[in-house]
Amino acid sequence: MKAALRHLKRNRGRTILTLLAVLIPVYFIVFMFGFASANLSDMFETATRLDAGHFQIRHEAVRGLGSAIPLIQDPDAALAVVDATEGVEWRTVRLDLPALASVDDRSQTVYVQGVIPEEIAPISAIGELIVEGTYLTTGQDGVVIGEELAGLLKLAVGDEMVLLGAHPEAGIGVLKVPVVGIYNAPAAELGRTVVHATLETARRLARTPGAATAIVGRIEEVSGPWNADRIETVTSGFADGLPAGLEVLGWEELAPQVAAYLRVMVPMLWVFAGVFFALGALVVVNTLYLSVMERTRELGLILSLGATRWRVMRTILVEAALIAVAGAVYGAVAGVAVIWIIEAFGGIPIWGSAVQFMKAVGLNPVLHLRASASQVLLAAASMVAVAVLAAWFPAYRASKLEPVEAMRYVE
Amino acid sequence: MSSEALIRTTDLRKTYVTEAIETPALNGVDLELHEGEFTAVAGPSGSGKSTLLHLLGGLDRPTTGEIYLEGQAMSGLSKDQLARLRLTSIGFVFQAYNLIPVLTVLENTAFVLELQGIVRSERIERARKILGELGIEEYADQYPNRISGGQQQRVAVARAVVSEPSIVLADEPTANLDTATSLDLIDLMRRLNEGKGATFFFATHDTRLLDRVNRLITLVDGRIAKDDVRDTA
Repeated sequence: MKAALRHLKRNRGRTILTLLAVLIPVYFIVFMFGFASANLSDMFETATRLDAGHFQIRHEAVRGLGSAIPLIQDPDAALAVVDATEGVEWRTVRLDLPALASVDDRSQTVYVQGVIPEEIAPISAIGELIVEGTYLTTGQDGVVIGEELAGLLKLAVGDEMVLLGAHPEAGIGVLKVPVVGIYNAPAAELGRTVVHATLETARRLARTPGAATAIVGRIEEVSGPWNADRIETVTSGFADGLPAGLEVLGWEELAPQVAAYLRVMVPMLWVFAGVFFALGALVVVNTLYLSVMERTRELGLILSLGATRWRVMRTILVEAALIAVAGAVYGAVAGVAVIWIIEAFGGIPIWGSAVQFMKAVGLNPVLHLRASASQVLLAAASMVAVAVLAAWFPAYRASKLEPVEAMRYVE
Repeated sequence: MSSEALIRTTDLRKTYVTEAIETPALNGVDLELHEGEFTAVAGPSGSGKSTLLHLLGGLDRPTTGEIYLEGQAMSGLSKDQLARLRLTSIGFVFQAYNLIPVLTVLENTAFVLELQGIVRSERIERARKILGELGIEEYADQYPNRISGGQQQRVAVARAVVSEPSIVLADEPTANLDTATSLDLIDLMRRLNEGKGATFFFATHDTRLLDRVNRLITLVDGRIAKDDVRDTA
């Protein structure tokens, strides 16, 4: 070990080059993980805070009803089970049903979301986007609509509209409701189709008192898709206790586009990491091979004195391991330090049209980089393993030196 | 040569083959070396001195013939077994000193003991002792490039004898040294031979050394032309 350290010190230039060959990939991978995590976190938050939640409890017969979600006739029984479970941060009851909104001879298909106004904020920013009138309060008979729908139907606050609800299980229901508020939607499609009503109003439209279509919830201490296990753990804690016919949908089913992106992105990250690892490995092979060539005399001497071939291999591998560990540590520290500095300055602000959208849906338009200890350790340990493996070839060549030839090389 | 030979060779031959050109280096050498001898093999360049030394040291393999070290045939040994044999039974001194540059004098001396797996405290003690006997203990903590050529060769001798091998093989050990330093080194090896019974076998054409050996083997064209046992002091 001492001799290995002295060798590294003696060939300072090459040692620094090899160190950089390990340090730079680890640094970039840690930073890349940090950036990717921020991106994933942002996507995850966007998906789960726009309607989906971390989980939803729905009726199992979800398929075959077109856009309608089947009704849960007694959501209170399921709520009791959820409320008795540790780790659930928040939950609410919702009744969503397709409807036709019409005023005089104008009509538009919409999606009525029956919500408990005081509870819905964690997964809906509509309450904060009101530009005219007010948001709903429990017991109020009225609806909140988007500016786009108001324009299509020529509605203002105080005007009345007719909602024609159609649900395969409940049949057709009709309600005349006043517009109590108009919101500025972050996306035109949202403003044209999503109508918020109180849960009671939606139940009347569905003609099913006490019914719901989903219990939507969030789990404590979940900051991104990397906490999917935690969501799974908590929800599996209450899934078996739910009344018959109900099932739990996880975020991957509720936000399949994010799940699909993750499935593509994670392997891509490892492909990029692999490229960095390969480049680092090439430099390690090159520098250590040069080192072996230059030390033919010394290695031949060691062999002639009676060292086994494994001992000679070990000499090279120990040097490689020392450089690799030092490079990996410095690289990891540098990567974490850069992330820390960026975070100290408030993260990376998002630019372009995405800013307005994120602000509108109640999200912070700033990417917060995040590198977990396990990611940093994995990047560093992987690079150390790659570097030591890369050192295997020059070490093997060194072990195969013939003492006499090596000594002649000396002479 | 009545006692059991430390090293015995039978019809030892070595031919180097490069690009279909065969160059015979040894042409049938029958030789016995005995414990306590202070022997040199001399001869003109290309006579096969270094080749013989390398074969006896297990650094190379003969084309045909056999070498017995302490009665054990070397031809059947694997590379690792040969390495083990070199480690335990043979000490080497080379013309170019060949000390490990990143190790101190003490560490270089103790290196063979480290390879043998001897615990640190013991190898340091033994290395210091031999450095003291050879008069170079004061350089124990120096690196090789900080001491003279003569001192480096003394360290090489110390490294060769510290593990008390059966035989020390020295290839032109005085070739790079001036006269005074050479004579000092020869005296030192002679003392080790007489005082500690260390067996030396030199490949050299240095007359200063040839004058001090008690057996002189002359090689010509890969064959033993003369084998003189003499009385020297």
